[in-house]
Amino acid sequence: MAAPSLIPLNPVRGVSDYDLLFDCVHCGLCAEACPTYIVTRCEMDSPRGRIYLMKSLAEGRMGLDDDAVRHFDLCPGCRGCETACPSGVHYGRLIEGARLLVEQNHRRSFVDRFKRRAIGAIFPYPHRLRMLLAPLKLVDRFGLRPVLGAVLPRMIHDWLDLLPPLEPDLRPLAAKATIAPRTDAPAVVVHRGCVAQVLANSENLNSERLLGAAGYRVVQLEPTSCCGALDLHSGNGSRARDFARANVRALKNAGADAIVSAASGCSVAIAEYGDLLKDEPEFAEDARAVSSKVRDLSSLLLDAPARPKREFRCRVTYHDACHLVHGLGVREAPRKLLASIPGVTIVEMTESELCCGSAGSYNLTEPAMARDLARRKADNIIAAGADYVVLANPGCEFQIAAELRRRGSKIKVVHLADFLAMASQ
Amino acid sequence: MSTSTIDRKLLDELREILGADGIVSRATELKVYECDGWTVEKSAPDVLLLPRSTAQLSAILAALHRRGIAFVPRGAGTGLSGGCLSLNAPAMICTSKMNRILEIDFDNRRVEAESGVVNLHVTNAVKSKGYFYAPDPSSQVACTIGGNIAENSGGPHTLKYGVTTNHVLALEVVLPDGEVVELGGPAEERCGYDLVGAVVGAEGTAGIVTRATLKLMREPENHRTLLAAFPDADTATRAVSMIIASGIVPAALEMMDQLIIRAVEEAFNVGLPLDAGAVLIIELEGLEAGLTTYADEVAKTANLAGASSVRLARDEAERALLWKARKRAFGAVGRLAPNYATQDGVVPRTCLPRILRVIAEVSRRYDLRIGNVFHAGDGNLHPIILYDEREPDQVRRAIDAGREILKACIDMGGSLTGEHGIGVEKLGEMPLMFSPDDLRVMTELRHVFDPMERSNPGKVIPQPGACVEVAAPRRQVPI
Repeated sequence: MAAPSLIPLNPVRGVSDYDLLFDCVHCGLCAEACPTYIVTRCEMDSPRGRIYLMKSLAEGRMGLDDDAVRHFDLCPGCRGCETACPSGVHYGRLIEGARLLVEQNHRRSFVDRFKRRAIGAIFPYPHRLRMLLAPLKLVDRFGLRPVLGAVLPRMIHDWLDLLPPLEPDLRPLAAKATIAPRTDAPAVVVHRGCVAQVLANSENLNSERLLGAAGYRVVQLEPTSCCGALDLHSGNGSRARDFARANVRALKNAGADAIVSAASGCSVAIAEYGDLLKDEPEFAEDARAVSSKVRDLSSLLLDAPARPKREFRCRVTYHDACHLVHGLGVREAPRKLLASIPGVTIVEMTESELCCGSAGSYNLTEPAMARDLARRKADNIIAAGADYVVLANPGCEFQIAAELRRRGSKIKVVHLADFLAMASQ
Repeated sequence: MSTSTIDRKLLDELREILGADGIVSRATELKVYECDGWTVEKSAPDVLLLPRSTAQLSAILAALHRRGIAFVPRGAGTGLSGGCLSLNAPAMICTSKMNRILEIDFDNRRVEAESGVVNLHVTNAVKSKGYFYAPDPSSQVACTIGGNIAENSGGPHTLKYGVTTNHVLALEVVLPDGEVVELGGPAEERCGYDLVGAVVGAEGTAGIVTRATLKLMREPENHRTLLAAFPDADTATRAVSMIIASGIVPAALEMMDQLIIRAVEEAFNVGLPLDAGAVLIIELEGLEAGLTTYADEVAKTANLAGASSVRLARDEAERALLWKARKRAFGAVGRLAPNYATQDGVVPRTCLPRILRVIAEVSRRYDLRIGNVFHAGDGNLHPIILYDEREPDQVRRAIDAGREILKACIDMGGSLTGEHGIGVEKLGEMPLMFSPDDLRVMTELRHVFDPMERSNPGKVIPQPGACVEVAAPRRQVPI
């Protein structure tokens, strides 16, 4: 066990926005919407329990000890509780505040520190990730991943397990728009993300092509940097703000009317720049403007005039990526879009809105709980009896695909943009 | 009352029974168990036990019994009266891991479930076949069947269907010494003393319920849900009596006053009339033939009573939205103030206009905002008293205002609680409603199940000799 961490005896008002904690009226209606409570069935792993810990910390009724940190860490940050909450608690902001406090005041074990630093040093930088994955690509070409996995330490082995096979991307691309969009068509920019552009760039390209085909003017973003969500969710507030500022600048220059991302976590992070940078006079206004332009791909495609579609006969179940459904409130649009494809039958899975355990880098930092959630998700998917699981977030895609792979399931996991491209081939 | 404490040897024994993930004994983790939805009073247990089966639960109660240690049962902790506050009970036993639905018997319309099953999950498990479990408290997305049984919970639809006790056929209960007993049976009609009825509503003072056989109801063929707006609460409550007097008993008849309408509207945007002084949600259900006639009749009566508008929910989506707003109204009030205390008095339906005037007067005198959202059809009030726990004076005023309202309910021939239970919140008011003889007989009945008073001590029945002040806040108000 790690040495006892800093135990502040004074109230730590900075644990989170203290007044925001009082939005919670302790009714407990959030519990069954919380993935970790559903698994452990313990109150400290429920949103109400975590808020109670934050409140107790803020009031100096307890210190920040290993147990409190453990229960904050275990929160995947899915925000399912925000959807369930009748009282309008801003749980996302509360847990982000708690994570900042933890990183500033708590010394983690060596392995934990190593893991978190590695994640923070690699994932936000596409060229670093590409470099790291280059040898693995070679390994995959000869089908030697299982051999490699067997000789590497457990932790690395588990991480490798989550990676999709790195074969040359064979996912079909949507046809490019044949007619140039009118100059007065709304301009859309697709934020390509960091991990997504390395591991799932077809989703970005397909998003752009589908938007182009739907009549939008697609503008490019230069430079693209990580949205900062990864940092925000792991208590690194200053770098999160650095990324946010860079993106605000770039997105403002791109001059788009709408901003979309194939990763819903990035969409929500951008949608919250306005809040994140509200105290920086130089950026506050631009950040707010940028945030107000975040849209989701399916809603934009749905707004465009319908085009004749080819038949694509299959059964599809739709997984609600947490930040898309709980962060942006998008539920119906992707389903409507899927249902508009002739031949597609939508079969709903139970708990489609429950986190799959991917949650940014959560499946790397909390592999055991992430795996429990993946199993539960896979059970629900298999029970639904679909040919495809469609979702709109690459993280969920890797996580669910890895679990289905382990089970030898034939069900294919496809990003919405890729699915629409495939269906239009 | 227990003076024994939990030592290492006992912890080891309990861990042996439950496994490492069935026991919580660290202070930080126990902290979150120091209150339920009644947050005025706080007290954490010394140990939390999470059994997974009746056998485990029986074994831990036997172990506690051997050492004379008292315990408090807990389900999801959504109660509003402090029923699972750990008072002189070092051990808390939470049924959250006992959440299996054991058997569904559609032919006999019943379901057998463990006590930790979430209320709504019962309905979810049977709705594809057109059935549902009737008691529908507002917390039904999270509260457990065991908690419902302890508090004899109701919900909007109790007007037609009755409360929990009307839906429980049989119970498996672990008595405080660990003995497992079966009460009631699958048959709809029973003879002899109604022991199931004695346990339902006993608030965990008769041992811990581990399993229940519940009745299932058939979904009605159709619904009509009306939203009637009134210029003020007085007119709305008079309309309630007129509707029932006209011979129509709706499935639900709910009222929300202006404060609640505004909170709900801000939270859910249902399209409630913001200028109304009060609204009624009236739900009729049954065979399609005749429903329209009844709905017209109700609308006519509402208009006659002085409604400013009456509107029919157009479709299932609009109906669902209305109910969502109603069921989450309590939480929506959280947007108006940091804390609230929900009262739960009952008055005869015809006294509704009078009691609402009393509540308005209390609100003025104590300088506290009080909203009303309640089951008007059966006279079950839920005045929601808003306060800020950071101001000790407000906390005191909130408690006193609540008491005064409850006293007025009793004076009008009503009751202290419709569905939230006595818990610790209304302990001090029990003597207002019951004579010392009544309370003695209740204690004697309790002793049949729990002779040593170790199961949820300090709840429901005030200790003899204790004065009304027993429910005064025991906790330290954090400054």
